[in-house]
Amino acid sequence: MSNSPATHDIEQALKQYVAREILDGKDIGLDADTPLLEWGVINSLEIARLLGFVREQFGVVVPLESVTAEHFKDLRALTGLVASLKG
Amino acid sequence: MDFHWSESQDELYRRALELARRHFAGPSRVWADHAFDRAHWDICAEFGLMGLCVPEAHGGLGLDALTTARVVEAFGRGCEDTGLVFSAAAHLFAAVMPIVEYGDDPLKAALLPGLARGAAIGANAITEGEAGSDAFALRTEARRDGDFYVLDGAKSYVSNGPVADEFVVYATMNRKHGYLGITAFVVARDTPGLRLGAPLAKMGLKSSPACSLYLENCRVPVGRRLGREGQGGAVFQASMQWERSCLFAGYVGMMERQLEQAVEYARTRRQGGKPIGKHQAVAHRLADMKLRLEAARLLLYRACWLRDRGEPAVAAVSLAKLAVSEAARQSSLDAIQLHGGVGFAADYNVEHMLRDSVPATLFSGTSEIQRDLVARELGL
Ligand SMILES: Cc1cc2nc3c(=O)[nH]c(=O)nc-3n(C[C@H](O)[C@H](O)[C@H](O)COP(=O)(O)OP(=O)(O)OC[C@H]3O[C@@H](n4cnc5c(N)ncnc54)[C@H](O)[C@@H]3O)c2cc1C
Repeated sequence: MSNSPATHDIEQALKQYVAREILDGKDIGLDADTPLLEWGVINSLEIARLLGFVREQFGVVVPLESVTAEHFKDLRALTGLVASLKG
Repeated sequence: MDFHWSESQDELYRRALELARRHFAGPSRVWADHAFDRAHWDICAEFGLMGLCVPEAHGGLGLDALTTARVVEAFGRGCEDTGLVFSAAAHLFAAVMPIVEYGDDPLKAALLPGLARGAAIGANAITEGEAGSDAFALRTEARRDGDFYVLDGAKSYVSNGPVADEFVVYATMNRKHGYLGITAFVVARDTPGLRLGAPLAKMGLKSSPACSLYLENCRVPVGRRLGREGQGGAVFQASMQWERSCLFAGYVGMMERQLEQAVEYARTRRQGGKPIGKHQAVAHRLADMKLRLEAARLLLYRACWLRDRGEPAVAAVSLAKLAVSEAARQSSLDAIQLHGGVGFAADYNVEHMLRDSVPATLFSGTSEIQRDLVARELGL
């Protein structure tokens, strides 16, 4: 799954969102493994906005029980979550 | 759109107001500066105040948010002792409702009947020395050990702490996970390793006791966890939605009493050959107090209405909290100005409303934090 074109697109869209909306263009060497929670990139306010973006961009509603550190720890995990929800 | 209350809502409001006035009002005493009084708590509990929005199955009145707010407003209006109303609301919204919404069935069955009746008192502990507005930067730790979690850490400001039986405590299980590393627990007062600091001396809300809380190797049974591991941030945010709307209804009630008192004074106090209310500068001050009260009240009702319909209400709730708390503080200053020296003297039940209102722009998230939340919702 991880290398399929669809998954790649999801990861790119999420990466662009984080770079543009959260990091405001700041270069932290953002990649699929950057620890978003540990580095405080995603906090409680940002999670709410990010969930809104995922809903609008991919048409999927992330269920509350999936809002966990495991799924939000980095872009790779988040991409996997969105891909699995898109079915 | 319909601005009417139902008959049963009106009846509840009237009964609550009458009870509060009968027991906790009147010029015969200074209401601001006495200590927590369990007999006063019990009178409110008897009415059902401690479990207004707790489902009837668990011993509460099963009210929705809007009706809950209206009853809290009645207490705030009738009861000169704002600290008592604050303590009751902190208990209900920040300690009891998290158990209602996130406790498992055995925990709810064990704790809610006592808490909803007010036989037991609840408190909430998230704030730490280094984690205030940035609450989710908390450092109190929880680690799993068999059928227990072991908690270690210190909480700096726990309303109701000195008298509470149950503490909703937030701890991190993995600091690297930030907001999603936090877990909520209900810790009983007699748990070994739980220690309370001395009561805090404060500017206002004197009858609402507060203290620090220390947890050392405190073993909490797994069944006392609220929600899942890592869901504590969401548990806390849900409790703040209750508090920022329904607790602040108490201040709406206080402002209404304050305005009635100020109008009466402006009509009867004479200076320069006429009642001071006939001086335009004084009358306009009262008109502004009325404007602040009604605007804040409408924002509050709408926030509760949205919550009851299950609609997104983050911005509406923050706007209501901001409006009510800022209005209460400003109008309390105005009330003192309008009463002159009498307003400043401690034995006329005017100045204490300022001391009770100043903290309203701090707890449940400061005014700055509410503006941040509104700004985010605006897409900033
Ligand atoms: C009456 C009362 C009852 C309370 N009860 C409880 C309780 O029961 N349980 C509990 O856990 N806590 C309780 N608290 C604590 C309360 O939640 C905190 O005081 C509050 O969250 C603010 O944190 P702080 O005091 O550390 O101030 P700080 O966070 O240090 O803030 C100091 C100042 O900096 C501003 N500031 C901070 N961060 C930002 C930012 N990002 N942007 C702009 N401005 C900012 C604040 O608005 C404030 O003006 C209570 C407080 C009061 C006054």
